[in-house]
Amino acid sequence: MSWYRRTYDWLERRLQLEGPIKDAVLHPVPKSTASWWYVFGSASAVLLVLQVVTGILLALVYSPSASHAWNILQVLNHQVPLGWFLRAMHGWGSNFMVAVVVIHMAQVFLFGAYKFPRELTWIIGVFLLLLTLGMAFTGQVLRFDQDAYWGLAIGASILGRVPWIGGQLVQLMLGGPIINGATLTRFFALHVFILPGTLLVLTGLHVWMVVKLGINEWPMPGRLVRRETYIQEYNELAHKDGLPFFPGAAWKDAYFAAAILLAVAICAAIFGPYGPTGTPDPTIINTVPRPDPPFLWIYTVLSYLPPEMETPFLLIVPPIVIAVLLGLPFVAGVGEKSWWRRPVAVFTVMFLAVCWASFTHLATSTPWSPKMNAWSGSPIPTAFLEHRTPLERQGANVFQEKQCRNCHSIGGSGGERGPALDDVATRLTEDQLIRQVLLGGGNMPAYGSTLSPPETTALVRFLNTLHPNYQPAASDASRAVAEQGGGPPASTVEPGNGQHKTQ
Amino acid sequence: MRRFGLVLLATTALSGCHMPGQPQPGPEVPRPEAVMSFAQLYGENCSGCHGADGRNGSAMELANPLYLAIIDDADLRNIITNGEKGTLMPGFGNAVGGNLTDEQVNALVSGMRAKWAKPNVLSGVTAPAWKASQPGDATRGAAVYAQACARCHGNTPQKPGPAGSILDGSFLALVNDQTIRTIVIAGRDDIGQPDWRNVMPGRALTDAEITDLSAWLIAQTPPHPGHPYPLAPHTR
Repeated sequence: MSWYRRTYDWLERRLQLEGPIKDAVLHPVPKSTASWWYVFGSASAVLLVLQVVTGILLALVYSPSASHAWNILQVLNHQVPLGWFLRAMHGWGSNFMVAVVVIHMAQVFLFGAYKFPRELTWIIGVFLLLLTLGMAFTGQVLRFDQDAYWGLAIGASILGRVPWIGGQLVQLMLGGPIINGATLTRFFALHVFILPGTLLVLTGLHVWMVVKLGINEWPMPGRLVRRETYIQEYNELAHKDGLPFFPGAAWKDAYFAAAILLAVAICAAIFGPYGPTGTPDPTIINTVPRPDPPFLWIYTVLSYLPPEMETPFLLIVPPIVIAVLLGLPFVAGVGEKSWWRRPVAVFTVMFLAVCWASFTHLATSTPWSPKMNAWSGSPIPTAFLEHRTPLERQGANVFQEKQCRNCHSIGGSGGERGPALDDVATRLTEDQLIRQVLLGGGNMPAYGSTLSPPETTALVRFLNTLHPNYQPAASDASRAVAEQGGGPPASTVEPGNGQHKTQ
Repeated sequence: MRRFGLVLLATTALSGCHMPGQPQPGPEVPRPEAVMSFAQLYGENCSGCHGADGRNGSAMELANPLYLAIIDDADLRNIITNGEKGTLMPGFGNAVGGNLTDEQVNALVSGMRAKWAKPNVLSGVTAPAWKASQPGDATRGAAVYAQACARCHGNTPQKPGPAGSILDGSFLALVNDQTIRTIVIAGRDDIGQPDWRNVMPGRALTDAEITDLSAWLIAQTPPHPGHPYPLAPHTR
């Protein structure tokens, strides 16, 4: 007998793990579960291991101190060999983990796998999702750059809106009334001890229950779940038409997990680590902080909410969503599992997916937010300045200097908060332009008190040139009538070169 | 052993060659006051009005070698830092509420010179000084306008020439005599405005003529410029 066999036997006689592990690995599962649709749960677990390993390696270097954290990330990015790659793996691993966990959840929902007897597996799964999101948020804070700083500020101001105990909650979260050194220590403890500890324990329970209760069989239309008969039916399915989990189903999990790890590594190598963006200094105001990908949709939703809706939405909707997720197996714990007979479930997932995708996409361009440096950094396209009079050129200067550009784009650059003005002259007459600039309206503030009459005149003259060559500028028909009827002339100025309106 | 070799190979490959994701030297987002690159400073602060390459913008052409030849560093620094009173040029210096430090203003000035100045542009010619040395005579300025400017800009605001009116009250209210002096001397070759040597048929304008012309033009600013409709007689 070789030496390793003897060592193994010595250990096994004392640990006695072989039996339970063999049972777990070789337990029969329904043949139908050996499907590529069933790989997301194990992939989430593999990503969790990746995050733990890369996280421990990062923790060897990281220092949770407000004055050092940002600099240490620079050291990791530039001085530690492959430090940047480690950071990138951890950052992209986080994105992939959130994505795979959410896909896993959607699959479990669509396959009816949350129904009897797997209600508690689902409920723990909901908490695992929340913990995963919690890890993503606290991890973003540990980067301690501008995104982290303002992300914290938003988190704190959300908590501060909780009635009665808001102040105490903020104190608890930040370790003081404002973001300070204690905040980072606190989030370090959350990200490194509290959340991952809970996550690992709950993951253990989650997997334990999957092994004990069996992997959900492929749903068939008409095969209803009944509390009285389900366990017996499942065991029959697993034993008569089943195969051992290993290697019958496990090889697909292994391949998929390997593919996911490869995808994380490729993203890490190509797109690199997240930030750190600028130093977390609140005196730097020319910054556009943005949350990490898992939270971009929230960023959009909160930005589009009318101010009076914010607090009710923030305080009421998350508890409702969590309650709905937790209550789901109790409300729909039996009955039909197949998506062919659950149109509401299918449309819910499709609706949420479309909402999520649109909100996330919007958050990448933030059309609601003025581009604060467009006025000085986005040149007016040359075509809009060709053959213009000196006054119209001054109008273009007013347009830039008064920061109209921050909300209105021309030539595709500038803010998107207001409408693009490339052809505004075809929509508004000169009088309407003056009125709009001076009095505002719609979503636009009034600029009457900020602009002098010459500035307004110059600006409107410039705006009035913004129409395509093939389409005349809008004009007020009543002016011509008034002119013919002997009223006062509309304007004493004849148009300069290039300024002719086609009537 | 072979597997270990593969891992070693992969690791060396990863650390050796430059992956696209590997961060560039220096922080990804430097502190705003640490930005010293002319391209970035100019692009973020000046290009909006002065054009992407210092040309074809709505405001003065900065990539104009004549302009850079007549203005000195101190004046340029002063305009960038404090803005130009009476015009739409705002101040960008920290002291007046802008974003730029003195060092960044210096970087802009030296960058403009390095990129756009031409050392020999004034060799053999004496250009009028950037700043007027004496107050102008508006009466004489009117004659200069009629000879040098009216061809393109028209004789009255109501009858502008092909290049558009510069007698328009709103236009005059948005510029000062230095704007006019600068553009008359340096011209704007990007939009076809000739320099001081070519506005008058046959000869260059003199320093005194330019001073008088600026004074006359600014004097044409109406008391209440910019009213879009002519005031009715009883409101005058």
